[in-house]
Amino acid sequence: MEEIPARSPVEKVTNGAQPSIAAPVKSQRRIGSLRDFLALLAENRQCITWPDPVMPEPDIRYAAVAAGNDVQGGPAIIFDKIRGYPGRRLAIGVHGSWSNIALLLGRPKGTTIKEMFFEMTRRWGAKGAKPQLDWIKPEDAPVYEHRLEQDINLYDLIPLTRINEFDGGFYIGKAAVVSRDPRDPEDFNKQNVGIYRLQLHAPDRFSLLSIPAHDIGRQILIAEKERRPFRIAVMLGNHPAIAMFAATPLAYDESEYSYASAMMGQPMTLTQSGNGLDILAETEIVIEAELMLGERILEGPFGEFPGSYSGVRRAPVFKVTAVSHRRDPIFESIYIGKGWTEHDTLIGLSTSVPIYSVLKDQFPEVQAVNALYHHGMTGIISLKNRYGGFAKSVALRALGTPHGLMYLKNLIMVDDDVDPFDLNQVMWALSVRTRASDIIVLPNMPMIPIDPAAEVSGKGHHLIIDATSFLPPDNVGPDVKLVNRPAGEHIERLMRRIREMQEEGAR
Amino acid sequence: MSTGMEVCPRCRGTEVEMQYQGKEDGRVIWSILHCRRCSFSWRDSEPPESIVPEKRDPFFNVNPDDINRYPIVLAPTP
Repeated sequence: MEEIPARSPVEKVTNGAQPSIAAPVKSQRRIGSLRDFLALLAENRQCITWPDPVMPEPDIRYAAVAAGNDVQGGPAIIFDKIRGYPGRRLAIGVHGSWSNIALLLGRPKGTTIKEMFFEMTRRWGAKGAKPQLDWIKPEDAPVYEHRLEQDINLYDLIPLTRINEFDGGFYIGKAAVVSRDPRDPEDFNKQNVGIYRLQLHAPDRFSLLSIPAHDIGRQILIAEKERRPFRIAVMLGNHPAIAMFAATPLAYDESEYSYASAMMGQPMTLTQSGNGLDILAETEIVIEAELMLGERILEGPFGEFPGSYSGVRRAPVFKVTAVSHRRDPIFESIYIGKGWTEHDTLIGLSTSVPIYSVLKDQFPEVQAVNALYHHGMTGIISLKNRYGGFAKSVALRALGTPHGLMYLKNLIMVDDDVDPFDLNQVMWALSVRTRASDIIVLPNMPMIPIDPAAEVSGKGHHLIIDATSFLPPDNVGPDVKLVNRPAGEHIERLMRRIREMQEEGAR
Repeated sequence: MSTGMEVCPRCRGTEVEMQYQGKEDGRVIWSILHCRRCSFSWRDSEPPESIVPEKRDPFFNVNPDDINRYPIVLAPTP
């Protein structure tokens, strides 16, 4: 993998920078599947197999939380001794730490979040970053090693567990759902791959929670209005880049497969599902299903990423029509709840990068976007300030990005001398650069329905805090000059030396 | 496949069906039950805070007779 270009704006921000303590990555071979990635993680001591028998509840939940408490270095865990599920395997925490995300990006353990952000923006913006998608025939695809078209019982195949104690049932929390525009089913780019929560209601029936703002929500409404059949393929145990980018808010006609392949700089192998959708050929399990037009079922609650349960709702229902899977499939699960959880490390960067990419196009002054907090419910944007009030206009544009519409609830705008990934620096900007008149509240706006602060589900506020410096025509106030904090290579060398002296002292 | 004896921990309904049993060497380790009235699913081996009505937080009770309390997320075309 190439290094981050020296001209990257991150190089200028050195306050609080940590000297790299990264170990060399042991393998940069192609990752083609979940299995490949688990092997890479294990070689880097980032995946363990749980040695003892466990009960489905609460043991798996507890182990996942304990591993995830180490946000920087927690490992993925494979369970293969689950009571009542002999021979079944469950993996959790695959994207549960920044070390695991770094290895996915081909970077060493210990790579900083900021470095990973710029690595991803560089790949996304790079001219040569063309998606490489290969198609193979279903008979050659590992996912078709086993196929079932009748007497389907998902409980028999998938070791499901209750993710949080008051969830309404057994959820598939990390499924990538493939669907096509019912009016334009031939258009590959309008095929959607998204992560939606699925609740099992019967061995061959599940509900899918979506909202009209989601691509699949739109497609369901169209299919029901025009009485068109609507078929989906639910992929479980996927290429780790798909899990990461299926949650990325792309434009409606951008393909998640293309995006994931470009981001990985590696080919992605696809095949056709039995019901006509493009699926990953090396995925562990694919459930084919059809929407039961007009039917709704009580769904939820479910412990969601804001750290609260989303309530009981009536959601669309799908009937399973076929299941394909690899030999001894690995069911990939996720723990979601009060943060930090795997959800935050899984989608934090892929939430931040597309917002940056849209903004950078129109405002080259934008330096970085940190929307790691709860799917971007709070985000921080750094920019080169042009004139007084400029940051507020950029913030309003951020609210108009696909993700900004319903997720960017609180936005903090900072100058380019503040690293948005270093919260100490952000707090400094908030402390010294905000005035009451620099705060904008846009009330009664669309908001994700699961915001626990909402008075009306689906509505909420957007809050913009402009913590950038004062520039004309602002009234700049009395003469103030900032302290020049020593920074740069010399300081980093000293930091390394001090650390070495500490370590020597400890011996 | 109703057991005829189970009560839903969430709505106290009796339309309960057993949907799956986890077995080891032919021995039943646990059963998965489902309430057709309120759509709750549970495993009979779970901690009591999740599956015993008296031990559950009543905040999470569901009353399917008051169906309009539960919003439709994607309203189907009538």
